[in-house]
Amino acid sequence: MPADRFPSPFEIETPPGAEGWESMYDWYHLFGPERRELDEGRFWFADRLHHPDVLHPYDEIQCECWWQALGAFNTRIFAMPPAFGVDQRIVNGRLYVTPVAAPAEHIGARAEEFGRRAGHYYERWDAIYAEWKDKVTAKLDEIRSLRFEPLPDLEPESTVFDHVGHSAGFRMIRDFDRLVLTMYETYQYHFELLNIGYAAYLTFFGLCRQAFPDISDQSISRMVGGLRVELYRPDDELKRLAKEAQRLGLVERLSGTEDAATLFAGLRADAAGAEWVADWERTADPWFLINTDPGHPGGYHTYPTWADQPDIPLTSVREYLRRLEDGESIDRPTDEVLAERDRITAGYRELLSDADRATFDETVALARQVFAFIEEHVLYIEHWMWATFWAKSHELSRALAAMGEIDEPEDMFFLRRYEVAEAIYDCVAAWSVGSRPRGAEHLRPTIARRREIYTALRAWEPPPALGPPPTQIDEPFTVMLWGITTSTVSEWLRADGDEGVLRGTAGSPGIVEGPVRVVTHPNELTEVQPGDVLVCPATSPSWAPVFARIAATVSDVGGIMSHTAIVCREYGMPAVVGTGNAVSTLRTGQQVRVDGNTGVVTVL
Amino acid sequence: MSGPWILGLADPAAGDVDAVGGKGAGLHRLVALGARVPAGFVVTTDAFRAALTDTGDVEAPLRALSPDAPIDQVERAASEARARLLRAATAGPVLDAVRAAYDGLAGGIARVAVRSSAVGEDAAGASFAGEHDTFLELRGRDAVADAVCRCWASLYTARAVSYREHAGRRSDQGSTPIGELDHGAGAGSAGAMAVVVQEMVPARAAGVFMTLNPANGDRSTVVCEAVWGLGEPLVSGTVTPDRFVIDKISGEVVRREVARKERCLVRDPEHPGTHETDVPAERREQPCLDDAELAEILELARRVERDAGVPQDGEFAVAEPGGPVRVHLLQTRPETVWSTRAPRAATSGAQSALSAVLATLTRGAAATSPTPEGTPDHAG
Repeated sequence: MPADRFPSPFEIETPPGAEGWESMYDWYHLFGPERRELDEGRFWFADRLHHPDVLHPYDEIQCECWWQALGAFNTRIFAMPPAFGVDQRIVNGRLYVTPVAAPAEHIGARAEEFGRRAGHYYERWDAIYAEWKDKVTAKLDEIRSLRFEPLPDLEPESTVFDHVGHSAGFRMIRDFDRLVLTMYETYQYHFELLNIGYAAYLTFFGLCRQAFPDISDQSISRMVGGLRVELYRPDDELKRLAKEAQRLGLVERLSGTEDAATLFAGLRADAAGAEWVADWERTADPWFLINTDPGHPGGYHTYPTWADQPDIPLTSVREYLRRLEDGESIDRPTDEVLAERDRITAGYRELLSDADRATFDETVALARQVFAFIEEHVLYIEHWMWATFWAKSHELSRALAAMGEIDEPEDMFFLRRYEVAEAIYDCVAAWSVGSRPRGAEHLRPTIARRREIYTALRAWEPPPALGPPPTQIDEPFTVMLWGITTSTVSEWLRADGDEGVLRGTAGSPGIVEGPVRVVTHPNELTEVQPGDVLVCPATSPSWAPVFARIAATVSDVGGIMSHTAIVCREYGMPAVVGTGNAVSTLRTGQQVRVDGNTGVVTVL
Repeated sequence: MSGPWILGLADPAAGDVDAVGGKGAGLHRLVALGARVPAGFVVTTDAFRAALTDTGDVEAPLRALSPDAPIDQVERAASEARARLLRAATAGPVLDAVRAAYDGLAGGIARVAVRSSAVGEDAAGASFAGEHDTFLELRGRDAVADAVCRCWASLYTARAVSYREHAGRRSDQGSTPIGELDHGAGAGSAGAMAVVVQEMVPARAAGVFMTLNPANGDRSTVVCEAVWGLGEPLVSGTVTPDRFVIDKISGEVVRREVARKERCLVRDPEHPGTHETDVPAERREQPCLDDAELAEILELARRVERDAGVPQDGEFAVAEPGGPVRVHLLQTRPETVWSTRAPRAATSGAQSALSAVLATLTRGAAATSPTPEGTPDHAG
């Protein structure tokens, strides 16, 4: 018998060894008795798309800023007619969310406001988006300009002779605030265009689905995508570097398997090699500021960027080089993609009734405008902004460790951001006075305990959802972004039904069988063998090289618009996405059948 | 005026539907389009009329029926008319011409299909599906002549008589009394019968396609159903076929439903005719068409639809692998249900992008959201 509801958030037990986990997160982020009546009646699902793993106390900030920004733009700024924001709670270190619907009686009035407000943006989309890029780039420069260094014994002379008038200690306090606030501000911009953009895209999507019930998601996105968007630039840079290696006669030297550090050291020994390495280093900023998290890029401080771990992009360059040597073309056929886009758009358009054709023309034009943003913002925000924010956070943590405020840099991430501000103050006050901080001795037991808690929490398997399920899930963003539908939820409820069968969303068609390769960290990508079925929490654009090798992909999170689904459709390989628990259920080496037509994974 | 009794499919005169019937004219059109169509000829309506003049008054028993005659009386009268036709026709000069034409196919040893091709059949709005007989895997001039004669006789089955009467009412053409068949050459000569004789494709698989999805009227798809062996069990609805939904524009196979196919109909290797057999175990759950074949079917379907200007359905057979081209078209005709309607309406009329967005956001979102599990399809 399938259950008719998920456990109440108030029934969830603390995993053994994780007692006191609540102290790792802000009180307003937790379920508490004051909101029990409200919260127990709501349906919460685990947001494994953005936060597949246990949150470090410091990383809670990542959830917090979208909690607020998405909410404000939907609820207060654009008056998105059917949807308020998405509420959040943390349980046992995992993020659960619930979309808040606008009251039905407000939808009409909100629609009027939305028409005027979003209408203003739609009319001027390209100009506003150009402004947006400037705003975001300026904020990124601001974050990059911050410096976190151990405080000097004596202030530099410039403090005096330039009449600066404040101290390095003050600046550390101030710059941490700036770091957080600038990140926050940039994340506001993220939602300035995102949800109204999605609304326009969904409209075009809906029109196509209504006219052509069988049309694939891929065909719809091909009508609006394929632009020369900057999102492809990092990959294009890798291709360029591969061609450069060929031109400089470095094919032989790049064909080995040594790691990037060894390879680059060897290359620097002569002019051609040094030229190529210098090119690589120039390219790395900003094009290799690419986060490698599985799933939503930039969600955690723990994942390196391509720039941090050049072995990841190097694998791609080697692959491109091999294909070049085989006489293949590696260029993205932009003109053909655009011609194909126009061909299929005209093809579907021709099949419409005359009345629909006019609306189709209007909505496809708007959808194309917004889609460029939908694709590109990932580079600006999820990659560049978050990579820069985490890099600066790491810089701060190294400074604090160097000053003895914490024992090692990683300790900082076991403190909430307010606690980090306190630690900075403690450190700065002691430095200023020439006294001794309470610092490491005071923080050490808390951090040590939280490390234990963190480990205990990671062993906990979070239920996919909490509370009473709604009879129908029709909130468009939930369906499109998280891939959660009425049927997903019923699958979750009868999760223990079929032994050896996992169900998810059919992300990309086709059926294949192959051995499972579970990958939870980009470091493990090198172990993937040709023909493997990649099983992962989610994929990210930085995983590109692996798609040439695998036979199918199964992910824990994501819907039809997830990176995994899109890439697999492009590569023509099956994908089942949003299974919820493939990573914890399947083991490397198991033989499975992946049915990308029906969204079923069967252990053979 | 009387025309030739036998016409090759490629003969320009075979474009005249009054001479060659709906199926014959459709095949001529396919040949003219450059599609691969098995070689064959049509026994024309003039041949039918010529044969009928030698047989006396075949239709007298039917004319004697009252308009509200019960079905068993219709059945008896139809049976009497068939018997009169078969008794009289077999020895005439028309069937000698049929025998001679058969001898011209593959030196008189071809395995052929003989199918009726009535005038008025296969037009948009009335398919006459399965209402006239079809004979498969025949070999030999007498067998073919006999089958042609049976096709003629099938005009007078009770089934066909009452179907025609129903179609007559539906199309609002007024009051054709039961059984009264007009053999004239003009429009509305519902009873004039041509017969198509064509070589059989030794089919590895066969099936049907439609240039829209009959379940939802989606005109951006070609839906294709197929079985191992000959297509007859599929057309008559006795087996569950594999089902493929192909996007007409992108060429993508958007859905594949592979059925478990236990039995199939194949050419009898020893004797003329067909027999039912078990599908080899390893093939039962395999799709019976591969992507290259589906792409070929899509291309043919699109070409046929473009040429006809309205949605089409058609039958095809896939020959055993051997050549670069494998799909043969056996017939096509206007799709009968959706082709008479306007395309689906997706909007409530011309809208600005903003009003379309507002409409999307204020109606139930379920209707417009991506549906990861695919659109439910009740076409069976």
